[in-house]
Amino acid sequence: MNNDYAIKTEGLTKFYGNFQALFGVDLEVQQGEIFGFLGPNGAGKTTTIRCMLDTIHRSGGDVSILGVDPKEDPVSVRKMVGYLPGELNLDSSTTGEKLLRFFNSMRGGKADWTYVEALAAKLELDIKRPIKNLSHGNKQKIGVIQAFMHRPELVILDEPTQGLDPLMQREVLNLLKDMKSAGATVFFSSHIMGEVQAIADRVGIIREGRIVELAEPRSLIKRSLNRAFVRFKKPVDTADLDAIPGVSVLASDDGMEVTLQIEGEMDAVLKAVAKHPVSEFETERPSLEEIFLAYYEGGN
Amino acid sequence: MLTTFTHSLKKSRGAILGWGISMLLLGAMIVPVYSTFADQGEAMEQFMEMFPPEMLAFFGGLADFTTLEGYLNIEFFSFVPIVLAIFAITSGSGMIANDEENGTLDLIAAHPVSRSGLFFGRLASILVSLILILALSWLGLFLPVQFMEEMDLDVIKIITPFLSMFAYLSVIGSFTLMLSLSMPSKRMASMIAGILLIADFFIQGFAELNADLEPIADVLPLNFYQGRGWTDGLNNEWFLGLLAASLAFTLLAWWRFHRRDIRVGGEGSWMLPAWVPFRRKSSPKPAVVEAAGD
Repeated sequence: MNNDYAIKTEGLTKFYGNFQALFGVDLEVQQGEIFGFLGPNGAGKTTTIRCMLDTIHRSGGDVSILGVDPKEDPVSVRKMVGYLPGELNLDSSTTGEKLLRFFNSMRGGKADWTYVEALAAKLELDIKRPIKNLSHGNKQKIGVIQAFMHRPELVILDEPTQGLDPLMQREVLNLLKDMKSAGATVFFSSHIMGEVQAIADRVGIIREGRIVELAEPRSLIKRSLNRAFVRFKKPVDTADLDAIPGVSVLASDDGMEVTLQIEGEMDAVLKAVAKHPVSEFETERPSLEEIFLAYYEGGN
Repeated sequence: MLTTFTHSLKKSRGAILGWGISMLLLGAMIVPVYSTFADQGEAMEQFMEMFPPEMLAFFGGLADFTTLEGYLNIEFFSFVPIVLAIFAITSGSGMIANDEENGTLDLIAAHPVSRSGLFFGRLASILVSLILILALSWLGLFLPVQFMEEMDLDVIKIITPFLSMFAYLSVIGSFTLMLSLSMPSKRMASMIAGILLIADFFIQGFAELNADLEPIADVLPLNFYQGRGWTDGLNNEWFLGLLAASLAFTLLAWWRFHRRDIRVGGEGSWMLPAWVPFRRKSSPKPAVVEAAGD
């Protein structure tokens, strides 16, 4: 498989007993990009991620992480990767610092401890406190630090901002951007469209174990359905508008107020509308969330 | 593997001290009392003869209270392995499954450590813990003897039952470990191992009364534990046989751990197909969601 990709999966399948969770997932994540992996609960995000790290064994297909097959050499893959699980559970019998030192020793003591302290300061976390006394959000911060502390070539984060307050969410997203600036690749799953839209270079949408879309967030929005509301000064025949390819009239109030659904370019619609005197024209650009919901609800 | 080993051993400090000091104190209390029994050896034997022969047979026949070795057989070596088997069962069942069920293994396993490294690092820490507990138990017998002039106990010989106990407990621990990696939960593995442990104990006892049970008793692990007759030296065949059984269970557990998926958290399920009667209603799909974690 090609080494230019930080992550490449081909026909990745996973069965749990008789239940098939992944149906041939194909993903290509370029080195140095931030890739947002979207999907509802149970879509297969975590299963895909765990196959990448070989904490679960794939049933079929190929996976390459920075040119290494995790099934063949999981230790090499894990050396290069920082990972934050979606369901983070930490040993509550110790302190944050001791746990981070343990994780660091598992990585051969590669982490620069001043960097760890800088990360903790940035996230406003006191790592000397016992984990059992930490809130969910603070535990999540420890999870984030352990994923970043050895400055990995690739970070794989499963819902990294969950449990964090908005300010801290922004800090974590900034850390992801910093990682990218430092040359690392970031692969993160989320169901919060705003954060994906804000930082991801590309997005993959997974639904029921299948990748249903791979694109840049902007092009996803561009390619999607737009809505337009037109108020004409006098009634028009909406059949002319309906006849435009990719356009359908959703609602019409005696030809005066018309709601249109437009797929693709707006040009033809604007030209058709401009033939009539118009008092108001409004377009609605769908958010990534709406696009995601459209995929989720089987719209695509 | 070394990091896993040292970390696991550090986490076992409490168990080592708790079990070890308890055993040490038990020995330290039992040994000084021996002089009382020794002084009244004849009276004790007469007292023992009052018990029904069946009952004495269950506990291995007439106790020899006239020697320190005989006294220790009855008062220490007959039941201590059963008590320490609780440690072996909890350690074996929890070695991997504990962290898996509380959800911490997922992150640990995503670090640069192979499954073999994780498995054998933790196994080594359990074995070292067991050795330390047994060493403290041995010290509990050895130290009082040094301070009591009338007692004469061969230091080397007294190691023999501890060696045998180590091999026996290794079998129990490795068997439970194998179960915990093959069954949906450590709870289930511990329960089955516990039932078999108690069954073994009773079968050994009843086999003294009923010859029909002897063929079964002869193949159970407690039969090969040298709680009695250790003054004649270590039975190498029994000792090596127990170690071989332990190795076999360990390798099966390791093979199983290599092949299976690491759960995100919680207990697993059998993942039985839908046509199987009496399966848990949650199996298979919710179990999958739990395993998938998303």
